[in-house]
Amino acid sequence: MAKVLMKGNEALGEAAIRAGCVHFFGYPITPQTEVPEYLVKRLPEVGGAFVQAESEVASINMVYGAAGVGIKCLTSSSSPGISLMAEGMSYLAACELPCVIINIMRAGPGLGGILPSQSDYNQATKGHGHGDYELIVLAPASVQEAVDLMTLAFDLAEQYRNPVMICADGMIGQMMEPVEFPGEGRGEPFKPNDWELTGAKGRARRVVNSLFLAPEELFAHNIHLKEKYDRIHRDEMRSDLYGADEPYDLLLVAFGTMARISKTAIDEVRRDGLRVAMFRPITLNPYPTPALRAAMDAMGPSGKVLTVEMNMGQMVHDVRFAAEGSRTVDFYGTAGGIVPSPDQVAAKIRALIG
Amino acid sequence: MSRIEIDSIRCKGCGRCITACPKDLIEFSQEINDRGYTYVDFTGHQEDCSGCTLCAVVCPDQGIEVWNFKDKQTFVNTTGLTENMTHYCPGCTHGVVHRITAEVLEELGLLDRTVGVAPVGCSVLAYEYFNIDMFEAAHGRAPAVATGAKRARPNLIVFTYQGDGDLASIGGNEILHAANRGEKITVIFVNNAIYGMTGGQMAPTSMPNQKTTTSPMGRDVETTGYPMRVSELLASLKTPAFIARGSAHDGKHSLKLKKLIRQAFEYQRDNTCFSFVEVLSTCPTNWGLSPDEADKWLETTMMPYYPLGIFKQPDVASPA
Repeated sequence: MAKVLMKGNEALGEAAIRAGCVHFFGYPITPQTEVPEYLVKRLPEVGGAFVQAESEVASINMVYGAAGVGIKCLTSSSSPGISLMAEGMSYLAACELPCVIINIMRAGPGLGGILPSQSDYNQATKGHGHGDYELIVLAPASVQEAVDLMTLAFDLAEQYRNPVMICADGMIGQMMEPVEFPGEGRGEPFKPNDWELTGAKGRARRVVNSLFLAPEELFAHNIHLKEKYDRIHRDEMRSDLYGADEPYDLLLVAFGTMARISKTAIDEVRRDGLRVAMFRPITLNPYPTPALRAAMDAMGPSGKVLTVEMNMGQMVHDVRFAAEGSRTVDFYGTAGGIVPSPDQVAAKIRALIG
Repeated sequence: MSRIEIDSIRCKGCGRCITACPKDLIEFSQEINDRGYTYVDFTGHQEDCSGCTLCAVVCPDQGIEVWNFKDKQTFVNTTGLTENMTHYCPGCTHGVVHRITAEVLEELGLLDRTVGVAPVGCSVLAYEYFNIDMFEAAHGRAPAVATGAKRARPNLIVFTYQGDGDLASIGGNEILHAANRGEKITVIFVNNAIYGMTGGQMAPTSMPNQKTTTSPMGRDVETTGYPMRVSELLASLKTPAFIARGSAHDGKHSLKLKKLIRQAFEYQRDNTCFSFVEVLSTCPTNWGLSPDEADKWLETTMMPYYPLGIFKQPDVASPA
């Protein structure tokens, strides 16, 4: 299929249809509103349903209902709305219901601003709802990658019966790029399974539930979930290296739009002979810690690490965790919706190894 | 000569059947059952039983079945409920509302295409009792869960079963908008004027001056407002709907209630409209009353404030 020029948010919507999702539940919030605006037109064409919910609290619970009856479904929001969905995410994960949640991150905290940000990193990877659970979190660095990760998101959601979040900053949602979509039309629904609620016709009844009043039963459920998360951490870490084929003295770590901007900065400082490579996590959870550590260890002990984020320093803690004290990890970031320029990132690199 | 069979194991000794029997043929036993309840016995003359079934109709515990004078079984426990014994307190009418809902689904032939949504509150474990596919939802969110399920699989019959804390308080937004969108779901709203599961706190539906653990001096309407009439509130919406209020406090009203619940599911089956049945229900434990006193309190205190009837029907014009 030929490439088409599309806005990130609209491309995410189309990608969901190609992945077999034709049910969307959401609430307007900037900067993700083009996702529902696109899908409200497209979903009736492919036999699906679009519901504008009364709140993000309701949207995520509609997702719980649709996922529970075995239908691929999607919701999207931006940071404050994701906070409201936190409760529902906990229930979805507890009940092992597959679904995809898009967060087009804006600047916070509070009402914050509507410009791009990566300040929900901690929330996405370690926060949101209550209890021992995890989401799979995918971070695209381009509109094309956002499209590609949507198919992966639904595949992982189904394979692991777990909610998957696509965590993109407002830049990815708002910018237009040429993209190529997989397949031709609506993708496949979930495969036949033994958990969906479809009416107990000719089979034992089923219950979607997260209440375990007996502590032994709840603990057994916690262990069951943990074993699943362990499998996810073992098998589903994804990352990308840039410029690591040649020796490097500084490893820059960035995700999403910041990885893209950093790439330009790296190209710029390389012209001055500085040896810099970049590690980009694609799965923010599971965090690709072993691959990151290997990329650090590929440098000598004097090699430096710089984490660049569009926030006040969140992922940097995971990078330091990967370093395990083996070397210092520097941080550069801006927040409030201010996107660092390649020159600013380059200046930080030069300050460290120039 | 009609007859009844009492399952003494299921009996919680609430005595509602004793009050309901027009011939005074049932009494408390001198014995207690394995669960520690003083169960009831049929002690009258067999020929005096008219087979009216009121004892079974008011039993919250699926504990009585009835045969008529031709030895035909005229009250059969529904297959729409599991055989699990409920955790509800003796005399609580949740059991009656469960049974009526399940009977209607069975009689309409809908059990195997129905998905129910249990709330948070006393009926949180409803998924243990309805013999169908069930969700357990987050507190107040059942109408949103039902919306998702119904929109995703429109051929399913989807209902929520919610108490007053769940629906009228924390879930106020979800029920309002599900009704306003006209979701083709059915909502069974059990209003017992109190939070049961958490131990008797004031609900939006608690009566003026009603003593609860969070209104120990009685509900003060100056600072907490008046009891919320949810049926009337929803009936004011323009969107077509079936909105009705019944009561489960005695046999006669329970039989009327069943007609309302049947209508509600018929509207959904026919894909007509959103349907909502509020059920005035008792909470003897948290009201601090015996089951018999609780039934009377409902009739004398709640019913004048919460009138019974149909507030809105899809085929009757709404105000502009």
